[in-house]
Amino acid sequence: MSSAPDGALGATGVAPELWLIEPRQHGVVERVRELWRYRYLWWYFAAETMTSQFKRSKLGWLWLLGRVAGPVGLNSIIFGSVLGVSSGGVPYFLFFLCGTTTWVLFERSLLFVTRSLEQNRRLVTKVYFPRLILPLAAVAPGLLYLLILLIVIVGTVIYFHRQHGVWYVTLRPELLVSVAAILVSLIFTVAVGLWTSVLQARYRDIRYGLRYVMPFWFYFTPIIYPVSTLPEHLRWVVAINPMAPVVEAFKWGTLGAGHLTLGSVVTSLSLIALTLITGAWFFNREEAASIDKL
Amino acid sequence: MKSLLVEDVSKRYLVPRAQKSQRTETRLDRLRGFFSIPLARDLLGAQELWALKDLSFDVEHGTVLGVIGGNGAGKTTLLKVIAKVIAPTAGRVQGRGRVVSLLELGAGFDDEATARENIFMNAAINGIPRAVALERFSDIIDFAEIQDFVDTPLQYFSSGMYLRLAFSVAINMQPSILLADEILAVGDLSFQERCLQKVRELARETGLTVLFVSHDMEAVSRICDRVIWIKDGALHRAGEPEDVVTEYQNATWELLASSDKPEAKGRSHAGRYGEIVDVKLLSADGREIGSPPKWEDVYVRIRFRTYRARTQVRCAFDLFSKGILVFRSVQPELIWVVPETVYEALVKIPANLLSETNYTVNVGVTLIRAEREEHALVVNRALTFMVYGAEASEAASGSLHRMGVIDPTLEWSMERKVDVVRA
Repeated sequence: MSSAPDGALGATGVAPELWLIEPRQHGVVERVRELWRYRYLWWYFAAETMTSQFKRSKLGWLWLLGRVAGPVGLNSIIFGSVLGVSSGGVPYFLFFLCGTTTWVLFERSLLFVTRSLEQNRRLVTKVYFPRLILPLAAVAPGLLYLLILLIVIVGTVIYFHRQHGVWYVTLRPELLVSVAAILVSLIFTVAVGLWTSVLQARYRDIRYGLRYVMPFWFYFTPIIYPVSTLPEHLRWVVAINPMAPVVEAFKWGTLGAGHLTLGSVVTSLSLIALTLITGAWFFNREEAASIDKL
Repeated sequence: MKSLLVEDVSKRYLVPRAQKSQRTETRLDRLRGFFSIPLARDLLGAQELWALKDLSFDVEHGTVLGVIGGNGAGKTTLLKVIAKVIAPTAGRVQGRGRVVSLLELGAGFDDEATARENIFMNAAINGIPRAVALERFSDIIDFAEIQDFVDTPLQYFSSGMYLRLAFSVAINMQPSILLADEILAVGDLSFQERCLQKVRELARETGLTVLFVSHDMEAVSRICDRVIWIKDGALHRAGEPEDVVTEYQNATWELLASSDKPEAKGRSHAGRYGEIVDVKLLSADGREIGSPPKWEDVYVRIRFRTYRARTQVRCAFDLFSKGILVFRSVQPELIWVVPETVYEALVKIPANLLSETNYTVNVGVTLIRAEREEHALVVNRALTFMVYGAEASEAASGSLHRMGVIDPTLEWSMERKVDVVRA
C-alpha cells in the first residue's frame, strides 16, 4: 500500500499505483519511504525558512552575523572578563565559542522547528505532502548558524596561534567526537521538535513556553562555565540534562577539555533516543488531527 | 474500471462550544474572554460537527464528475479528504494514480517567487522529481502562455495569467485524478474552452478523472458527465447533469421562497464571511413591487453584511429571461465595508429597457479579503418578476417588440438627404 503514487506512470500506460486513504495513520516505515520520494521538497522548505526570517529586511543575511556575534561577544565579556569564570587554560572566548556551538544549533533550530507546521499552515491545509518534511527542513537556519560559528572558531584558533603561538585546536581523531556531538544535537532538535511542532499547531503557548524555558536550560548546560566549577549539590541538574554531554563532547573533541563520563553519555543518548522514538510516534499519530485545528 | 471509490467516508470536527457567536462578540467580550481562567473553556467540552457523514460514491475512469451542494454541505471537505489534506474520521477512499488538486487559486504558489521557481516547487509538492519537471517545463509555459514572464514574480501577474499558470501546472503534473474547486469556471471564455479541451483530451487518452466542485450550475451542466449532489455531508442525488442540476435548482428556489425570514432561507447565500440579507425589487418611490410597468425606473436592492474585517465588496447581478443571460451588471468599484453592518446596494434599471416578459435575477456579492482571497455569496433566483407594458396607447407597434429579451426605447431619426449623389 502506498500513499503517493509514482510519477510518470499515468502517461506511459502502466497501470497507476493503487492507493488507499483510511482514518488509521500509516506506519513509520511507510512514512520514511514517502519522505524519500518527496526529498526535493526539503530544499525548498529549507530555503524558505532561511529567507523568510529576513524578508523585508534591508541588511538581510548580515543579521545572521550579528545574531551570532552579539551573544558570543557579550557573554564572553561578561563571564570571561567581568566575572572571570575559569576556563581551564583555554582563552575564555574560545572556551565559550566551543561550548555554545552545539547549543546554538539546538536552540535556534528548535524555535524554527516548533513553528514549522504553524508557519506553513496556508500550504499544509490546502496541499498534501509529507508533513514530516517541515520540521526536518526547519533545522536549516540552525545549520547556517552552525556553519558561521565553525568558521569563527577556525578564525579564532588561527588568531590565538598568532598571539600565543599555541594551536588550541589541532587536527586529531578526537575531532570526530565533535562531529558526532553536532549530529546528536541535530537529532535531539528534531526529536524535541516532533513534539513541539505538533503541539504548537494546537496551542500557541508552546512557543512562549519554549522561549521562557530556554534561558534556564542554557544556564543549566555547561556552556559559560566548566562542569568542574559546579557545586556538588547542583551536579544532578547537569547529569539529567541531555544537552550537557553533547556540549561537553564538542569541547572535548576540539579543546581536549571536557567533562565526559560514560554514565552521562549513556543517560543522554538514551534520553535522546526515547524523545525521538516517542516524538516520531506522537507526530505520526497526532499530526493529522492537529492539521484540523490549524 | 473505477478510478475512485469513496466508501462510507465521515469527517468529524470538534469545535469548541461557543458561548457567543464570534459575529456578535464585542471588544469587551473579547477582553473578558482573554482574562477568563485559562483551560476553563476547554473543560466545557467540544461540540461535534459532522462535515461528512457516511458518504459513498464511485467514479469511472475518464469521467468529469460535478459535485454540487449548498455552502457547508461538505463539498470542499470531501475534496480535501481525497487530496489527503485532512484525514477522514471513518470510512475509506481508494483510488489509482496521482491526485492533483486545484482547490484554491494560489494554494501552493508563492507570490514572491518567480513562475519558474513556483513550477519546480509545485512539482516537488506533487512528488515529481526535478528531472521530470524540467522535461515538462516548456509545456507548462506554453499552455499558460506566459513565455515572456517566466522569471517574473507571481505578484506581478494578472489574475488571468495566474489562473492559466495554476491550471497548466496542475494538468502537467500527470494527474490521474484532478480536483478542481470552481476553477474551471473562471477565467476568460477562450481559456476555459482550452482547459476543457485539455481535460477531455486527457480523459480520453490517460483516463483522467476530474472532480469539479462549483456553484455555477450552467458550467456544471455544460462540463460534467455526471453530477453528485451532496447535502449535509451525505450523498443526496447522483445522475445525469441535467436532472440533478434542475432538481437542485428547484430545491434551493423552494427553500428561498418558502420562508420570509432571511435567517431560514437556507445557506446558499450565507457563508462564513458574510450573508445576503435580502434582495428586493423596488419602485422609484421605494415600494416593493412584483411587476413593474415598462415605462418606470425600477431598482434592485441588495442588502448584505460581512462578518470579517478588512473586506472589500463588489455586488453584481445577472438578469435572465427565457433561459438567456440578458446581461450582468457589476458594481464598478470595490467598496470597503465595516463588518457586522448591513449595507444596501441599489441599482437602477432604467425605464423602457426591459421587455414585456418574465425575468429572474441572480445576485452575487464578492467579498475580497487580503491578498487573493475571494468569497462569493450567491442567491440564485433571488427575484422573479414580470414587466408589463402599456395597454392601448402604444399598441401600434403590435407584437413586434415582444420578440426580444429586452426592448429598449432607442432614438430613431430619419431625414431626406438631397445632397447625396448616387454613386
